[in-house]
Amino acid sequence: MLYFLVFSFLLLLSGVLLFEEKLGFSREGVLSYYLGDEERFTQPKSVAGILKIVLPHVFTFGLFVMVILHFLVFTKVKKTKKFQTIVYLSFATAFSELFSPLFIVNGFEFFAYVKIASFFTFEFLILYVSWLLFKSIVYD
Amino acid sequence: MRFTLIKDIKQDVGMKSVLSGLLIFTILYIIVDYFVKQSGFGVSPESVALTLFGNPDEFLDPMSPSSFLEFAHIEIFFIMMILLTLSAVYIRMSNKRIHSILIVNIATLGALVSLVALGGAYYFHEGFVGVYVVGSFVWRSLAFYMSVYSLWRLHFATSL
Repeated sequence: MLYFLVFSFLLLLSGVLLFEEKLGFSREGVLSYYLGDEERFTQPKSVAGILKIVLPHVFTFGLFVMVILHFLVFTKVKKTKKFQTIVYLSFATAFSELFSPLFIVNGFEFFAYVKIASFFTFEFLILYVSWLLFKSIVYD
Repeated sequence: MRFTLIKDIKQDVGMKSVLSGLLIFTILYIIVDYFVKQSGFGVSPESVALTLFGNPDEFLDPMSPSSFLEFAHIEIFFIMMILLTLSAVYIRMSNKRIHSILIVNIATLGALVSLVALGGAYYFHEGFVGVYVVGSFVWRSLAFYMSVYSLWRLHFATSL
């Protein structure tokens, strides 16, 4: 279990570095990645291109979130309302993180903020769940 | 992971065939992954270093940061999931508890060391390439052993 938490942390860390490298954490960075940038000679992303990235991530996000959240069932958190909130919020933020680019390429630039906010909320939630699990291993 | 709760897996025909399938596919993954790495990323310290840092004499470009991060991100996910499922099966199948816990710990630590060393090699020092190669070899060999041993126990052990 502890090993799984370390792997999860590495996965989150590489995800953050990848996001920073490809998109950046600003509205402009996200928009230039998806809508193209003449100065950087980058092409706008197509819906098909976005779906190619979304496809493997939909399955792996679902699997990863299910695996890490199901460990919470063996902790005291299971009986609290917080558990349900974490479950719903994790899947909801994963969904909006994956599908917000489709809105961006269709002219809804506001979704650049949604992309960044959902990415960070998702990362924070997984870190928080990891902390709850770690605490449960050490103290319970 | 319901199989951990079944008292005698050998008597449960459905679960036995499901686990056999999982183990055979895990063995296939380890073998295919080796050949894919051998033809692309590299499996020896020299070939891995060549992929990561390139070679100006041979006009080979170094790996870009985004390609490297994509590779590492995918590797972390796959290794995590394979070791998680395989460890659960192996511990359930093994009849030597301390031995199995030791194998699982060495395999997982080997995988973690290889992943951290991969990042260390790309961002800090080329010397970590050797650690990555050794760590990879350790976890892959032990994962292969765990799969074959579990499959053997599943079919030939008198009771599980």
